[in-house]
Amino acid sequence: MTQQIQIQNASLKFRIYRNRAPALKEAVIGLLTGKRDKDAVTEFDALKKINLTIRAGDRLGVIGLNGAGKSTMLKMIVGIYPPHQGRVLVQGKITPLIELGTGFDFELSGRENIYLNGALLGRSYQQMRQLEAKIIEFSELEEFIDLPIKYYSSGMHGRLAFSIGAIVEPEILLVDEIFATGDAHFVQKATDRMRHLFNSSGITLLVSHNLHQISDLCNRVIVMHKGEIVGDGPPAEMINYYVNDVAHLLKPAAAAAVAPPIEPQLLAK
Amino acid sequence: MVARHPERSVSFLGTHQMLREPMRTAESTDLLDKSEQQAADVINPQIDATVDDFDFAAFDKKESTFGYICRCLSELRNIKFALASFVINNLRRRYRRSVLGFAWSLLNPLLTMAVMTAVFSLLWHSNPKSFGVYVFTGLLPWTYITDSIMMGSQSLVQSEAFLKKVYIPKSFFPLVAVSTETANFVFSLASLMLMACIVGVQMKWTVLLVPAAIALLFLFNFSVTLILAIATVYFRDLTHIIKVGLSTLFYLVPIIYSLEMVPEKYRVLFLLNPVFYFIDLFRALIYVGEVPDLTRWAIPSLITLLTLMTAFYTLKKTDKDLIYRL
Repeated sequence: MTQQIQIQNASLKFRIYRNRAPALKEAVIGLLTGKRDKDAVTEFDALKKINLTIRAGDRLGVIGLNGAGKSTMLKMIVGIYPPHQGRVLVQGKITPLIELGTGFDFELSGRENIYLNGALLGRSYQQMRQLEAKIIEFSELEEFIDLPIKYYSSGMHGRLAFSIGAIVEPEILLVDEIFATGDAHFVQKATDRMRHLFNSSGITLLVSHNLHQISDLCNRVIVMHKGEIVGDGPPAEMINYYVNDVAHLLKPAAAAAVAPPIEPQLLAK
Repeated sequence: MVARHPERSVSFLGTHQMLREPMRTAESTDLLDKSEQQAADVINPQIDATVDDFDFAAFDKKESTFGYICRCLSELRNIKFALASFVINNLRRRYRRSVLGFAWSLLNPLLTMAVMTAVFSLLWHSNPKSFGVYVFTGLLPWTYITDSIMMGSQSLVQSEAFLKKVYIPKSFFPLVAVSTETANFVFSLASLMLMACIVGVQMKWTVLLVPAAIALLFLFNFSVTLILAIATVYFRDLTHIIKVGLSTLFYLVPIIYSLEMVPEKYRVLFLLNPVFYFIDLFRALIYVGEVPDLTRWAIPSLITLLTLMTAFYTLKKTDKDLIYRL
């Protein structure tokens, strides 16, 4: 069955507690006196009535200013944040490359962390047994793989995290601002690997501020602004729209920083 | 890529979506109009009406509590490997860098038992040998319960970073905490039995039934811990209340004394304490060496069933809200 993602009318809001955790005392007092301190909570609409259909073959780039709801939408698709309204339907197995290295245990060796991290990504022991050698090979950490990762440099750390996430052949790939760290050689290798993953997976979602990367890897782009999808179309058109119309909503200086000028040949593609 | 997803993905990263229901379903009726309206706004609309290959009826159907429990369990089964690694890592970390390593989990209760036995036999002039075993058949389950609750009730709050970055069933971290304590408990029980043999307290074949008692206590601990872990997310002060509550409860459970030492008129108070029935079970099997009659099994079983149902009901009610409260 082909992969598909349907987001229908999905809204999601965060509550910001002024008093970070509602204390038991206040709840009891509120219950007794019958009034609640309404001011203690500020609601923030992170996503507003999102409608989006992603079909097999889509390499969808998601662009928008900071706080536009891009990462939240990805996390909603993964299932971390259930929508308060509407529905999200996913067909196919998701491989999230979000927050790489989540769950690394610094006391454990690199090898043990491969298994631990794989398990957190929902893979079985048997699968990880098969992937272990490939991951170690890709990360080029053969010498250090049995050392506790607290002795790793941050570059080695990033290499391991990337290798674990990127070694499988995903059905649906979600990528949030992924930057492979390490030396130039590894960055090149990781970039090639990402390109391969993009081409081989059924659906790809890429959240990035790097507009070159977006126009390079995606065949469809959506522009998000303040929790809404304000644009949906081919990359060149959307990047143009984003740079000229959306980024302008910022103060001029900040806009220049967020949207670096793009070479015309990239837009022409 | 993954062969075990023939039709619809059933991995723990996949199943939740098809069952994730909207909090307010009233919206879904006017859905089509909205998307058409939206389509007019966007520059290049890609919304199409032929979305028939999704089973929308199943998605919108309200999930029963039983169905929810089944889904929770299957999600947990899918990450059983992660569960095992977390538990093993926890145990390993606890004893890492100590010369005796895992032996400490055996030695620790042995040493405490020796001290307790010496002190109490001096104080109460009871038979030092059997009194030590008596105390420990009560103390070990008690420690198991309190440690599970102390560790587990914090587990959701402490794993905020995890829960916000990867999709993990909410019951995962409480289960990890309780499983770790279970492993410790089993080690300690083993060393208790070893000690009992050394000091010459005879044990009967009834110790073979101990695993059944452990399983029951495990389920009880897990459900209580889960309830408290969820409650702690909403009321962070609960941690301190739990701490005080548990240390008070210690004296209300016949661990360092026996129920017979309690005046008749107060005894009913002790019988109201659910923890008592679990300790009674272990004591009967290990210390007394008798098979408890049916009611002595039935009462803790019923208590466990009740707490389990409450735990899953609480989890179902808070499942979609919990992440926003962390």
